[in-house]
Amino acid sequence: MALAAIQPPNELFLRNSDTTVRVLAIALFTLGSTLPFVYALTRLEYVTSWTVWQAFTEFGNVYGGMDALRFTLLEAIASSILTIIIGLPVAWCLSRYQWKRIRMLRALIAVPFVTPSIVAAMGFLSLIRQDGILTKIGIDLRLETGIVGWFAEVSGWNHPGHFLALIIAHAWFNLSLMIRFVEPTLSSLDPAWEEQLSVLPQGQSRIARMKYLWIPVIGPAVLCAAALSFLFSFTSFALVKWLTPTSFTLESLMAESGSAAGIVGYRIDSSELIYSVALVQFFILLLTLWMTSVLQKRYSQRLSLLSEPGVRTHHGPPSITAKIIIMLGVAFTLLPFLSVVISSFQVRQITEGSVERNWTLDGWSNAWSGDMSTMAVGEAMSNSIIYAICTLLIALPLGWILASTIFKLEQTGWSKFSKILDLFCMLPLAVSALMVGLGVLLGGLRWYPEMFGWFLLPVYPHVLLTVPFVVRIMLPAYQSLDPAFSEQCRMLNLSSTRSWYHGTFMFLRGPAVVAGSLTLAFSLGEFGASWLLVRSGSWDTLSIVVDQLMSRPNFDPLIHTTAMAAATMLMLLTFTLFVLAERFRAHDDRSGF
Amino acid sequence: MNSIRKAGIITLLLLTFSLSGCLTDEVIEAIESDDPCMAGVQVRESDGTLKILTYDIAGFSDELIAQFVNQTGTEVEFIKTDDAGGILDQMMLTKAAPQADLMIGLDNTYLPTAIQNCLLMSHNVSDESFTQSSLEFYQGPLAVPFDEGDVCLNYDEDALAADNMSVPTSLWNLTEPEWNGKMTFPSPMTSSPGRAFLAATVDYFGHSPGNQSGDMASWWTAIVQNGAIFTSGWSESYVTYYTGGYGEYMEGHIGGAYLTVSYCHSPGVEAYYAENYTHSTSLVLPRASFHQVEYTGIINGAAEVDAANQFIEFITSMEVNVNMPDYNSMYSVLDGTDLPETNGYRYHADQAIVSNAITQEMIEQNMESWLTTWQNAVQMG
Repeated sequence: MALAAIQPPNELFLRNSDTTVRVLAIALFTLGSTLPFVYALTRLEYVTSWTVWQAFTEFGNVYGGMDALRFTLLEAIASSILTIIIGLPVAWCLSRYQWKRIRMLRALIAVPFVTPSIVAAMGFLSLIRQDGILTKIGIDLRLETGIVGWFAEVSGWNHPGHFLALIIAHAWFNLSLMIRFVEPTLSSLDPAWEEQLSVLPQGQSRIARMKYLWIPVIGPAVLCAAALSFLFSFTSFALVKWLTPTSFTLESLMAESGSAAGIVGYRIDSSELIYSVALVQFFILLLTLWMTSVLQKRYSQRLSLLSEPGVRTHHGPPSITAKIIIMLGVAFTLLPFLSVVISSFQVRQITEGSVERNWTLDGWSNAWSGDMSTMAVGEAMSNSIIYAICTLLIALPLGWILASTIFKLEQTGWSKFSKILDLFCMLPLAVSALMVGLGVLLGGLRWYPEMFGWFLLPVYPHVLLTVPFVVRIMLPAYQSLDPAFSEQCRMLNLSSTRSWYHGTFMFLRGPAVVAGSLTLAFSLGEFGASWLLVRSGSWDTLSIVVDQLMSRPNFDPLIHTTAMAAATMLMLLTFTLFVLAERFRAHDDRSGF
Repeated sequence: MNSIRKAGIITLLLLTFSLSGCLTDEVIEAIESDDPCMAGVQVRESDGTLKILTYDIAGFSDELIAQFVNQTGTEVEFIKTDDAGGILDQMMLTKAAPQADLMIGLDNTYLPTAIQNCLLMSHNVSDESFTQSSLEFYQGPLAVPFDEGDVCLNYDEDALAADNMSVPTSLWNLTEPEWNGKMTFPSPMTSSPGRAFLAATVDYFGHSPGNQSGDMASWWTAIVQNGAIFTSGWSESYVTYYTGGYGEYMEGHIGGAYLTVSYCHSPGVEAYYAENYTHSTSLVLPRASFHQVEYTGIINGAAEVDAANQFIEFITSMEVNVNMPDYNSMYSVLDGTDLPETNGYRYHADQAIVSNAITQEMIEQNMESWLTTWQNAVQMG
């Protein structure tokens, strides 16, 4: 009250409304992210008559559950290891030398992470086809001849080709994680450390330098990237669906039974499966997130760091080997994209049993015109854009307010609350896209069945899935804000709004653009939740159209070409947004992907 | 203090709002278990658009739909699922709040469940011009056939010749060592052709000579033991593993399986799109095929009943239905129609030797137990 007495009324109003907005944002996010799951779990509990504990313990008896768990763990671990094997040399070379177009190189390698997963799946499918680029250079992952056949024979592994294609695709997808975590540390590490160590007895050999310098310095960052890579590979859906169609991960197993779950007296086995698998998956993902957060804390322990240009100048221009490694990295990044584009202009023709690929524009014209069973690309694109914009309009401010609230709590000594809120904001990542979709589907069914008629229904899971990324980008930006600017604004007697604009907003603009573009890209490419929810309506997105086309019997060769044209459209749309966002990104900003 | 109170009130309001719409389990059960065929059914709110629930049917053209819109003045919107099973799941899931007026695509292995659960309502379309085979399974007021075809085993002629293998004369031949690891089957739990073939095996092993060496369950167990590959859908079997189909030209192909479940006329479809070339053919064994009929019907709780009836008439009209071999790679259900002769479509399409022993009542009463038997048999293998 005393404070109110000495403050001007409009200032007090602003403070009050500020708190109201924060509490509202927290309430909205809390309700939005928990209620569907609480409702869905209650629904599954009612339909199956299982308790949560029973659902856990029955996992071993659920049809296909153990096989799926084994496969998921195997592919996720293998993908993480491969991400390190491919990503570390690229990150190493990128961070140690003076590259001429470093931002462009970074952007090129970051592109896979924002690429819609269905486009990545189509890209890798095209790469491994009979006359695809990989087969031509002797890596036949499809029919497993040559070196892959030899590997299958030696290892006794039946059909390793598609599994290898899957983990390579995951490594491609997660490549930028390695760059994102390793490059900042390496590119600003004081070169004196390396030089000093090399004259000490412990630093004479390469292995010793590895043991005493590199592993302690970049180890946590590598593990952090590997843990996130594990997380994304564990919940990968579109790539698994298309690259290893005969093996199930927990995610694809749930997708298979999702449409029949939660219905009283009907296909109870489906409800039991979803209930049990969802809980096990949630537990594993929660554990992974906790591990990532522990690793991230270790990673953030500051070492002796110098300015990046100084370190790069010290190391000088890249060596030939570094150039080759980066060129291979970029080629690896671009190959699937090129492959999709080429496939969208080719149609197979069978003549007397031999296949030829003829050049055609029919796939594109089919994609634009659509037919009764597949929406035209233009219409699907407008749906995708509407969902992406709606997601942006909700997720960006919501995530921004949440990040600023976490920061404010940290600053005002409420560190416990800030940690709880921070962890809570990450919770949607512990439930995969498909689980979010299922939660909305089953929770919504219980609460308000008419919800299935809502055109904007897919925006709901998209918001839940993108808010954690907005928070993760905006929070470090807040933490690196210099309070001196805000103080100067106040000293200049600027109004609260103008103080905020000049002292805060201007410095957060860059990260906000990055968060916004990431939100748009993720929403455009979102597949799991949309795959479940658009079945309740006719609001197909571009990702769904590609999947629908590929799922149809492809007797007619043009269907495949049409699917590739739709995938190319989605790819171009995402890249356009990404390139636009890159133009707004501050020169030294690396707060996102 | 003031702001915290305000925020608290808003949070409380939000919580109250979100929980107020919550239906109790008893209410849900009442909605779902009451007889919705009678009065209490929820009717979808009319918005002047005919909403059609279907699977990814391979293409009625936009022009065709435009023709219907011009004729009737009713807009059409499609809601798509994966397959026939997806249609049934969707109808069950939204039973308390129907989202569509018409379904297109439930086949005769799913239709009895839909009827049993009162998911369909009467139509007023005459079935005078339909083929006898399309009406044998169901000829009532709740569903109208719109296409048909026989589900049967397909095999790769070239692969069998290359490996010196003989064409099976009994399903038991497939349990012999020469077929080890060379067959693929879509799971009846998740695939409608898989379900249809399961029904065929019930018929086959329920009669002689099929049952002379054991029953349906022991055959499926023996098939698993003989290295059969099971997939979730028809596509995974036909495209990924089957060596005789178009899958060999597709990216995800693995191959290795010389035999799979498809339609008896699938080789005809192969030839149609490959300039009269195919090395796939059907295995026509008595009672080892299932006559699949796909239906359209008005969803209980439909808002646009008149438009739904008009659409049924439209797709079962000669002008449209005669094109089913092209639109959906299936036979038309109208008398006097056949597959086109272009590119050997009709020539390569085999005629199945089917029996009518599997009736609507049998499926209604036994499908769940057949699926359980199958699941146990496969797990034993």
